[in-house]
Amino acid sequence: MFTTGSKLFLGATVLSLAGTIIYGASQDGGPVGTLGLFTVTVVFAFLAGINFYVRDSNVSAMDTDGIESSPAAHVAPARSMWPLIGGAGVALVPVGLVAGKAVVWIAVIVIMIATVEWMVQSWSESASGDVDYNRSIRRRILHPLELPILGAVGLGLIIFSFSRIMLRLPSAAGAVVFGGIAAGVLLFGSLIASKRTVARSLVAALCTIGALGLVGAGVASAVAGGRHIEKHEIPSFEEGTCGADTSGESDEDTSRAIAAKSNLAATITLEGGKLRAQVTGVPGNVDVVTLPRSTDSFIRFRNLDDGKYRLVINLGKEVVDPKAEQKTYREVKECTQAVGEGGTQFIIIKAALPSPGADAPEEEQFSFTVPGVDTSLGIVVP
Amino acid sequence: MTTVAAVNEPATRARPARRLILPGAAVAALTLLTSCAKDAPQDTFQPKGENARDINNLQRWPFIIAGIVLVIVTVAVFICVIKFRDRGQTAMPKQTHGKPALEIMLTILPAIILLGIGIPTVSTLFKLAKTSDTQCIINVTGQQWWWEYDYPVQDGCGGITEPIVTSGQIVIPAGEHVLLKIASRDVIHSFWIPALNGKKDAVPGRVHSLRLEADQPGIYAGQCTEFCGLSHAYMRMEAVALDSAGFETWKANQLEPYASPTDADAKEGEATFLTQCSRCHQVNGIIGGDGQPVISRPDQYVYSGAAPNLTNLMTRTDFAGASFDLLTPECKDKLWKAKPADFTQLYLAGVTPECFDAVNLREWLRDAPGKKPMYTNTNELGPTDGKTRGMPNLNLSEDQIDQIISFLTERK
Repeated sequence: MFTTGSKLFLGATVLSLAGTIIYGASQDGGPVGTLGLFTVTVVFAFLAGINFYVRDSNVSAMDTDGIESSPAAHVAPARSMWPLIGGAGVALVPVGLVAGKAVVWIAVIVIMIATVEWMVQSWSESASGDVDYNRSIRRRILHPLELPILGAVGLGLIIFSFSRIMLRLPSAAGAVVFGGIAAGVLLFGSLIASKRTVARSLVAALCTIGALGLVGAGVASAVAGGRHIEKHEIPSFEEGTCGADTSGESDEDTSRAIAAKSNLAATITLEGGKLRAQVTGVPGNVDVVTLPRSTDSFIRFRNLDDGKYRLVINLGKEVVDPKAEQKTYREVKECTQAVGEGGTQFIIIKAALPSPGADAPEEEQFSFTVPGVDTSLGIVVP
Repeated sequence: MTTVAAVNEPATRARPARRLILPGAAVAALTLLTSCAKDAPQDTFQPKGENARDINNLQRWPFIIAGIVLVIVTVAVFICVIKFRDRGQTAMPKQTHGKPALEIMLTILPAIILLGIGIPTVSTLFKLAKTSDTQCIINVTGQQWWWEYDYPVQDGCGGITEPIVTSGQIVIPAGEHVLLKIASRDVIHSFWIPALNGKKDAVPGRVHSLRLEADQPGIYAGQCTEFCGLSHAYMRMEAVALDSAGFETWKANQLEPYASPTDADAKEGEATFLTQCSRCHQVNGIIGGDGQPVISRPDQYVYSGAAPNLTNLMTRTDFAGASFDLLTPECKDKLWKAKPADFTQLYLAGVTPECFDAVNLREWLRDAPGKKPMYTNTNELGPTDGKTRGMPNLNLSEDQIDQIISFLTERK
């Protein structure tokens, strides 16, 4: 009574309906997932109805009496690897529960692939008595899915293998190998292009050997582990809170630090218990650093002394609430993170207020200081 | 009828083309004549300093070579068009493919030309980026729509012990290697005094260096060359070069302590200034009602966080981004055309009562956004958290305007 196509979609309908009920019950009826699964159920039911109504678009199948009264011209099902793969997937689930979540996900993906492939293969084998036709309808359904997925996986595998090889090689050799492989590919392509006829099998064999070699080398490199790579920490760009240290020393080779170094208002160095300042364009050291008002200024602090030190930038005091009758003041102070000997930190400061005149008391002057060291440098903000 | 029309057609078509010849020639002649303008303060081809001269020397030869190449190519194209034009022949012309000698020559010749241009270009680039010979440092900060110049404490510039802040006109010692450190407080601007050097962008969060040197005392005009908003066209700048003695005098004058107004109107103006203007504009040394020096807080009212320092307003000859004159046209003309030997004294005289033209300043105080477009409409200040871009209309009375002008004319 039911046609082959409608049986397939009917089974899918029942399966997705069961999934909807189980998911809905186990997830307290979560609306999005449940609704999504129910939509799938409705779609499968609709497809099952159409296939049933049009009898799989098979004219001879319209004669239901004939189908029911005469034996079907079915061929014996071919051997299939999918039950085996599905079984392996099922076996992987408990392994994954012990080993880790990633293995469970791989097992689930394997089971899903095996289920779909096996289901479609079985359905196509019973579609007609013509083996070639059955194979063609399987290809028509699954190739639009299989080819892009296999292509993406293959490409990903090659890229991943290549990246493992490059990470394993010494950095200097990496460029040579990269250039060598590129030259090899170019040479191979040129040789093929220069020949009038080339056997497809030969090209396929060479490509397969190349891909296998690449993947094999990638796996070997991944197992051996990457070369040692120095950790590049980002420089610290403080926000003006002189709280506890939260980051390590900055690396002067990082791109942000290089950008900051090209843009410095001043470099403040602690050496021999004394601070000295250097300003771009001014030969030698300066005693006072002038910073523009209301403008971001990059300051670099270098500690050449033994021990961990931080630079503190004192920018005077400002009124907490200008509208309050009783004026209260707070210190405007910014700090870098503490850095060990040879370490560097960067800080961006923006002085909203001008510095007091030279005749103002010393404690009101703007300055660079280093806690724990009796040294300071003056700051002038016009 | 058809035959007559056909005979007449070429003649009627030719007339409009002939009519265009005369206007076309006139436009071309006028375009050429503009290059003869003597009063062109932003002419890049009239360098007045070492750096601008280096740039001019660099561009001259490539322009000449490019001109020769243009003439050769144009003549060759015309010869080909005329000599090998279609004369109605039906036979296919002789086809040639490749001429190695010609191709090699056409590859080598441009390579030689590029090499000839490339070597001096790279050498000039390094020369223009040099900072080791700096004799004076000035911080230049752009904001919508004016430039601030502050002279940091340094041994250079003849020694500066207290910072000097000014705007609109950057004052430099003539003949000295000045290094500008250019930044921006809001959007990207570009600093350019064509007679003294090339352009340099002012980018928020970055400091760019630019050398500046003027051969002789004089005043040199410039213009922001990076579109920066509503009043970009009003963001002008002027470099004023003084002889070394004059520069020392100018520095000393800038650091003179604040002198309280003597005139009655000016005293009223000081009070009005304190209530209306000092929130954003700094006048160094002015004392507030609480007996303490007043510190302006433009960062609380203006998006850029800055407003021009007016301590010595009348030592400059214009205001509001060097856009509006404080001098009468005659005095301005005299200053701009002064000989280098006379310029320093003339400039240091500042805005004298005889030369002061109050019209622009009065109009500015009456309605600043009306004179120079700025973003000061409070209904549209949401994106800047209520802060203006530029000076708002303070709705001052005419009496208040008079008083403030009296107060400002004493700021010398």
